[in-house]
Amino acid sequence: MMTGNLAAAWGARLADVDYIPAFPITPQTEIVEALSKWCGGGELAARFVTLDSEHSMLTAAGAAEATGARVFTATSSQGLLYAFELLYSVSGWRAPLVLVNVSRALAAPITLEPDHNDVLAARDSGFLQIHAETCQEVLDSILMAYRIAEDERVMLPVIVNLDGFYLSFTREPVVLPDPDLVRRFLPPFRPSHLGFKASAPHALGTAVVGGSIYSYFRPQIHLAAMNALSVHEEVALEFERLFGRRYDLVEGYRLEDAQDLLVMSNAFASRGKAAVDRARAEGRRVGLLRLRMIRPWPADAIRSALRDRRAVAVLDQNLSPGQGGILFQEIAACLYHEPRRPRALCSFIGGLGGKNISEGEFHAIFEQTADAGERGEGIGPVLLYTEAELREMRELQLLAGASDS
Amino acid sequence: VAAFTRISREAIRERGVVAHPELVVVAEATLIADPAARVTQGVSERTAVFVNSPLVPRQLQDSVSLPGRLSTMDLTGRTLAEFGKREAISALLGAVAGRLTGLEPAAVSEAIRRELLDLGLPSAAIGRHQALALRCYEDLAPVELPPPETSPLSSAMLQLPVYEPPGRGTARISAAANSVLRETGGWRTFRPVLDPGKCNGCWLCFAFCPDGVIAMTPEDKPVIDYEHCKGCQICVHECPTKALIAQREEEGAVAWRAK
Repeated sequence: MMTGNLAAAWGARLADVDYIPAFPITPQTEIVEALSKWCGGGELAARFVTLDSEHSMLTAAGAAEATGARVFTATSSQGLLYAFELLYSVSGWRAPLVLVNVSRALAAPITLEPDHNDVLAARDSGFLQIHAETCQEVLDSILMAYRIAEDERVMLPVIVNLDGFYLSFTREPVVLPDPDLVRRFLPPFRPSHLGFKASAPHALGTAVVGGSIYSYFRPQIHLAAMNALSVHEEVALEFERLFGRRYDLVEGYRLEDAQDLLVMSNAFASRGKAAVDRARAEGRRVGLLRLRMIRPWPADAIRSALRDRRAVAVLDQNLSPGQGGILFQEIAACLYHEPRRPRALCSFIGGLGGKNISEGEFHAIFEQTADAGERGEGIGPVLLYTEAELREMRELQLLAGASDS
Repeated sequence: VAAFTRISREAIRERGVVAHPELVVVAEATLIADPAARVTQGVSERTAVFVNSPLVPRQLQDSVSLPGRLSTMDLTGRTLAEFGKREAISALLGAVAGRLTGLEPAAVSEAIRRELLDLGLPSAAIGRHQALALRCYEDLAPVELPPPETSPLSSAMLQLPVYEPPGRGTARISAAANSVLRETGGWRTFRPVLDPGKCNGCWLCFAFCPDGVIAMTPEDKPVIDYEHCKGCQICVHECPTKALIAQREEEGAVAWRAK
């Protein structure tokens, strides 16, 4: 049994990383605490360094990766945003480090529990993104992430995302892969374009002006990211052969005869699956599609899962103010050219700041989605917030002295 | 530095670089021979070209090969005579450009006033700039600018990007240092010249040179690498015995040529 955070630390340990720059932030801190302990005790032969900020941390991480070291680091929320400009630099350096983000909603108001506005803010940075549902998947995804990142056809950094609290501080059974097998799965890092030799200096991320040079390099990052779709397939196959667990770009749950589908990601997908089971017991033909790899965007896999459904509900655990759910937009875009697209596409927004999504809310989603499918007209964004929650909010507003004047 | 101006009575639906200029104003003659400066890009025999140079157009054509209809004036010399500073040529360049594009002198003068006011210059100094600019305006013969060329429209040949290995597809320079090949001596208006008799061998010029182009002999005398000295005059300013003096580059329009 281990927490998601400890599973993440084990991922880095089994990947035999060389360098770990660290900066604490709730709910991620347990990851770097564990790694610090192991580096101190000699269980992990990596250099562990605490930096003065996440910005410095990611700078150090990218720079170390550029010397040819295998680098791991982790952050959350405000920390990810503080490091934000470096995300684009590190991807531009084609420095394939692995960064774990433990999702936590963004201030203000400040909170600790998860939603995905933090990690999805990084979706255009050139980092690939794998979102995990379980503690086991956290560990396994980190191993897969290094293998994909370091592939010459990809050579891009990866964010592995797990939800704060619901995974980070939740103990689940986790099978630790055999280190010898991991060594076979993940050979030593020998990048052709990175490395450090005093006799052969090189400059990375050099200044270019005029637009045409820049327009050559940034699309290379896009092409590299797109390559990661097929590389992921190969890596998933090899991972399954060695460790017996299979991870795909997206995970389908009870899709076979489903009329209506719920699309969601991360730890609450477990609750979504339970809700699918309940709805099925009531006679509803529903299923769940869990988005696992979000960058690159697996458009083909998503289209083939959603094709011919009556209605699809996208449950975003994020909010783009003035627009709605981020993943809803991407799902809608990739269905536009699909002639057999669902009759109705519905947008739900829930779980902001880690707010629970209750069975009753899932029930409402399935009911409204079925109605939308009958009518052939989508709905949303529907904000999942209950009457009981508003009553509680009113009491808090009273205590806080909130008034209409 | 390159800047572009479009003037039209119609709405201008164009941005950025002017690919086929009707008029090019070259502020520094040595840039013509410097391939990295690309001052003649887009210049054809139809283009009007003005060069800040003491040479008359025929003399200038002997040392550089320029297409286009050429006119010249020694704006740097006029600026030095009036202000004692080589940098103050902007107003004059503007006046010249105004003359060649057919703007009215009062409008050019007012534009100069507004620009310099924005820089915080006192009004007396602005008046001197305006007066000198107007003299340059009057002394330069106007030229007729060519009507704009139109060419038949065709689709660009698009080159769809393909993935290339990170060694090629990453913004990375792994070639050995090559800045010595980039000769910057042409940037000078003045060159520092040593009077060895006055030099006390203190090495201050060596220490202050921001470009590292001053070497010292075993006898503690500076040797200046004129192929790379940009003429900033910091050594001249710092020399405690005034052994380094600034000499105007005036062997011709092109005192130095890129190899």
